[in-house]
Parts: sequence; C-alpha cells; structure tokens
Amino acid sequence: MRVALAEDGTLFREGLLMLLRAAGHQVVCSAADGDELVALLTTTPADVAILDIRMPPEPDGGLITAERLRAAHPDLGLLFLSHYAESHYLMRILEIGTESIGYRLKEKVGSVEVLTDTLNRIGNGEIVIEPVLAKRLVERTRGDKKDVVAALSDREQEVLRLMAEGRSNNGIAGQLYITPKAVKKHIANIFVKLGLHIDTAAHHRRVLAVLTYLRSQRNQG
Amino acid sequence: MVSRFSHRTGDDVDEPVTEACRRKHQDRWRRRRLLQRQLHDGAALRISALTLRLGLLEHRAAPDGQAVQDCIGELQDELHAVLEELRDVAAQIYPPLLDEAGLGPALREVVATLQAPVAVVASEERFGPAAEGAAYFAVLQCLAAQPAGAPSTKVVVRREIDTLMLSVSGVDAFHAELIDDQVRPLGGIVEVITGSPPGASTVIARIPCE
Repeated sequence: MRVALAEDGTLFREGLLMLLRAAGHQVVCSAADGDELVALLTTTPADVAILDIRMPPEPDGGLITAERLRAAHPDLGLLFLSHYAESHYLMRILEIGTESIGYRLKEKVGSVEVLTDTLNRIGNGEIVIEPVLAKRLVERTRGDKKDVVAALSDREQEVLRLMAEGRSNNGIAGQLYITPKAVKKHIANIFVKLGLHIDTAAHHRRVLAVLTYLRSQRNQG
Repeated sequence: MVSRFSHRTGDDVDEPVTEACRRKHQDRWRRRRLLQRQLHDGAALRISALTLRLGLLEHRAAPDGQAVQDCIGELQDELHAVLEELRDVAAQIYPPLLDEAGLGPALREVVATLQAPVAVVASEERFGPAAEGAAYFAVLQCLAAQPAGAPSTKVVVRREIDTLMLSVSGVDAFHAELIDDQVRPLGGIVEVITGSPPGASTVIARIPCE
C-alpha cells in the first residue's frame, strides 16, 4: 500500500516509517506538519495518509489537513493517530468523512499485523475506530437508553461494540468465532431493540447509526 | 434568594484579591498547562515510539520465536498501561482536551464518564488557560460532591464581556464553597441562588478572563 505520513514527533515518525517499511508498505512521502504533506501530495499519489491529530498547523493540524486532503483527493484513505482516544475527536473525524477513515491510539498500531489490518480496512472503505474508545462509548451509554443497551444479551453487546469499532459482518464473525449469518441475526436483533431503522447492508451507515445513537445519549446528559 | 457567597460571616467581609495574587494564580495555571504539554510531547511520545520499535523487533524475531513474540506483545501491553496512567496524571494537571478544544468539549467528555445525568451548555469560545482551568476543576469538584441519585445537573458556560460566567444548577448550596476555592484566587465572584429544596440550588461564578 502507498502510504503518506505527517507527524511532528521525530522519534515516532521515524519508528513508524521503519515499521511501515518492514510491513511491506511503500512510504511515498513523510512530513513533519500538515501543510508540507498537503504540498507533497499534490504531485505524489498515495492510498492512505497517516496523520497525527496534534501537529502544526496548531492546534489540531491533523484535522485541518484531513479536510483539505479529503477535498483534493476524495479517494485517499485517512488514518488519524493520537495520544488520546476522545469521543470529541471521533465526532470531528466522522464529520470529515465516514468512509476510508480511521482513528487509533499511537501505541496501539505497534505491530506489523495491526498496522496492516488497519490500513487494509481503511483502503477497503471501512471506518476503523480504536477498540478502547468504541468500548467506552458502548459502556458509557446512560439514562433510558442504558436500560435498552442493558436489555441486549451479552453476545449482542459484544456485536454492538465490534460494530462501533467499524468491523464488517465477516470481521465480527471472525472475532467472535461465529458464522456471518449468526452475526446478521444478532445485528437485526440489536437494531430492533435499539429502535434503529437502517439499511443493514450499508456498512458504514450502520457504524454511524451506532455512533449517532451513542452520541445522542451523551448530549442528552 | 440570591446571595453573594462568602467564606466568613458577620462583620468580617471578604478581602478583595490583589492584582499580585491574581497574576500569581494565572501563572500557576499556565505552568500546569505547560507541564501537561511536556508530558505529552516528551515522555508519552517516547513511550509510543518504543511500542513501534518493539513491533519491529517482533517482526524480525525468528518465525519459530513464538515465545519472544508473546513476550514483546506483553511488553507492548505494559507500555499501553503506563501511558494510560500518564493520561490519568495529565488529566489531573490540565486536561489536554481542555487545552486544545476548550471548556465545552472537555466538560462534555468528562461528564460522559459519570453515572448522574449532567447537561453542558457551552459554545466553542475560549477564555484563556487560567479561567478555563479554574472553571473546569470547579465543576468537577462540584459534581464529585453530588450525592448519589441526585437529580439532573446543568452546567452553563458563557462570556459576559471580559468575564467567564459559569453557572451550575441542581446542586447543593454548600457546593458554592468548592467553586469559590477555585475561582476566588483569580478575582472571581460567586453567587448562590438557594433553591427549594437546597439541593436544587444554582451557583454562579464570574471569573475575569482573557
């Protein structure tokens, strides 16, 4: 995969470059800030851009850079790396795009397998969300809807959490050692119990449905 | 009933905060913010970079080196735990989200972790590190002091010319002291609208801001 990288921390940038190369990816350009990356990518094609959220242009250059990149290269995948998994940033990232986009903790992409899996999923158009954050969002659900989430079976809650991570049906099936057909059934049950009416075939829309639902819980207060 | 909150009773009137005191406390907040940034840009980034180096090591380990690979995975998990602890510390010094995005996002993020329902009404507006820090921790302490099963609380943050107006409704009137401790050193003034029952009171703080 052709990868572009912008990160202002030299140590982390160099480490990520080495790991990307070891994983067999082609690093087409790397920059210490967002503006430099945008300039480099006007002439260099890439499949996914990896962006540090907190880098120049300050304060959250990764997000501004992503907006510009998405406008100039709609097919370019975007992977945000951050030291913090905050739902505030997740919502802002999903405002930039809901396809080929990801948000992960910096210390959680430190293996060839995880890094490649993350990049491949983004390359395939999926949303990838840091599991810690997805789990927190599901567990933090409050108020009336907390009872609704509590009404889900343990298995359904696991499926919901993996849905919030952006996993596909097959991905969820693989994680839980069940058949994709069983996953579909669980999802149908979840949607009924949560009162959501969304085309279950549209993968990213269903992630959004979950997140929108969870966000509405947060904002209701 | 609206009353100006005072630590003292009777004839002993609150001393106004001197300009020197205000400046000292403003500096204190700036230092806290700086410390938090130092944690992020220094130790945290180094540890994150270490996890990448370990990943590289794992990749280079011999294909039959399952034991080594498992051990590296455990080390990476341990580093994640260390970073989580650093995040906890950073949040208590000066929350990074408060620094980067302001009171609205920072308060919404933190109230989402609480059991009791709390509504936050705040714009994107910024007020400077001192006023934002004092308001943030004032709200946090106030919410922490709420009894279990307390009814819903509402937090409003708004600018009034060169003042940050913070109002916390649905709390005990006694909580005014917690808020006063945070905002007074910056020249802030606290008012209490005692509700009925007293647990439904509103505390309003006005803090000079940037």
